[in-house]
Amino acid sequence: MLLKRFSRTQRLSHLFLMLTFLIQAGTGFGRLFITTDFGRSLSLLFGGYETAIVIHFWVGVLMIAGFGVHAIYMLSKIDWKHPLESILGPDSLVPNLNDAKHLLQRIRWTIGKSSSPKLDRWAYWEKFDYFAVFWGMPLLAITGLMLKFPLLTTIVLPGWAINIAALFHRAEAILAVSYIFIVHFFIGPLRPSCFPMHEAMFSGSVHLDEALKEKPAWVERLKKEGRLERSMAKPPARWFRALYFIFGYTALGFGLYILINGIYYSRYIRLH
Amino acid sequence: MKVRLICFWGAVVLLICVAALLFVPSRPTLAQKEVTSPIYRYRERVATGYYEGYEVSPRRLRAVMKMPTRGRGILTYGSASAMVQIRTRLPDSHRGLKFYYRNTCIECHPQQARNIHSERAEITCRQCHGPEPIASVNHYYSPMNPIRRHAYICAKCHEGANAAFAGFYVHEPPGTALSTRESFPVLFYASWAMLLLFLGTLAFFVPHSFMVGVRELSETKSFKNLIDQWALPLFQRFRENVHRFFEKKKTQKNEDKNAS
Repeated sequence: MLLKRFSRTQRLSHLFLMLTFLIQAGTGFGRLFITTDFGRSLSLLFGGYETAIVIHFWVGVLMIAGFGVHAIYMLSKIDWKHPLESILGPDSLVPNLNDAKHLLQRIRWTIGKSSSPKLDRWAYWEKFDYFAVFWGMPLLAITGLMLKFPLLTTIVLPGWAINIAALFHRAEAILAVSYIFIVHFFIGPLRPSCFPMHEAMFSGSVHLDEALKEKPAWVERLKKEGRLERSMAKPPARWFRALYFIFGYTALGFGLYILINGIYYSRYIRLH
Repeated sequence: MKVRLICFWGAVVLLICVAALLFVPSRPTLAQKEVTSPIYRYRERVATGYYEGYEVSPRRLRAVMKMPTRGRGILTYGSASAMVQIRTRLPDSHRGLKFYYRNTCIECHPQQARNIHSERAEITCRQCHGPEPIASVNHYYSPMNPIRRHAYICAKCHEGANAAFAGFYVHEPPGTALSTRESFPVLFYASWAMLLLFLGTLAFFVPHSFMVGVRELSETKSFKNLIDQWALPLFQRFRENVHRFFEKKKTQKNEDKNAS
């Protein structure tokens, strides 16, 4: 039995973010490491040093637009008759005190000192994933636009602001790439409990047993509210499964290629 | 339905706004002006290329400056050595250097060679600092002087560069170095903030993910089988062997004692 976890819009948003993020990582790291063999071969994938920045810029513009659309979508999801309950409720991604408790209990669980926490719809690491992107994207967008239009920027800001913008843009990009390719890729597809892939973000559904094991509070709540039956989903078609497995593992391979080479060649670059 | 319509039109307006950003032209009218500081424009006039007395105040500042902090130590410097060492306002900044013509710039300024202009755009030192004799950056007639650097140097490639634009640190100091706290404090604190954020995030989430992975692995059936069938018997056999070895040694020692 499958339980619906993500709507089609949410899955499309994730796919959009995944594709744009990988392109930005490829073009950005290609330029950052251009003085090394890795950077040269990576930027060749995107048409060379000059073309890579054009792609980087336009995909960045697309990401800004996507971020705006997502913000409007999130605002439309708030129940404006009861905004506080809606924003701080169990279906919201806004962190609360329970997340801190769950975090401590899960750490104790890893060393065998406690039972696994009864997580609701969103676990604390999923909330962190979401907000890491949510604050990282505006930072990258603002600094990216400052770097793209330095003459306009220096009408209102002093020239050294460009140095700071470059530092923030690169450091935040390195942080995002490291976090996604190390932590998110492990928690997503490589974790023993969901190996070979956590399919929910592609198929939109999770097995009920899996949900009961990891997010029992969510399933209990659905039962209590009488929404469990309505939340059942059909299994994905075989061709669709094959497609997202190939796509997911290609993304994983590309990410690991950037990560390993990035670590190896990091001594040849500067952050600013 | 209404919400969907609002979302749709909101997204369309946002896209148009973002696209409109790209068509904002640079403003050359704000650039190419004489200034007294990198931030404030000096006066509204067309640059002629000639520098009059009223534009800056060179009379109060001598071309060769004394450095007040020098010469305070045990070994004091004479006026001649100060002239050699403090070269920020000389008409020829390399005046008096031995074997100057045999050297390349990078031999004496290795740190300055590592900058985005030379690494990415392959711009050579002389393309900005000019031909020989290379005047000091703060020399009154130097094209690198901050009052005209934007117009004479930056604008060669960055059309429309204004005075604030020339405040960009081409030869940026290393962000996390202690000396940067004096020379470029914003960069120093920003670098450390980003470094701590990076290390803090990974220092928490990497061990966290690893521990979760190990714990989950220990709960899988195949892993439990592996432990029960292979690892535990192997460990037991190893323990028995160690125990037997020490027992043997103990008895041997006792026997030796008894014999003696």
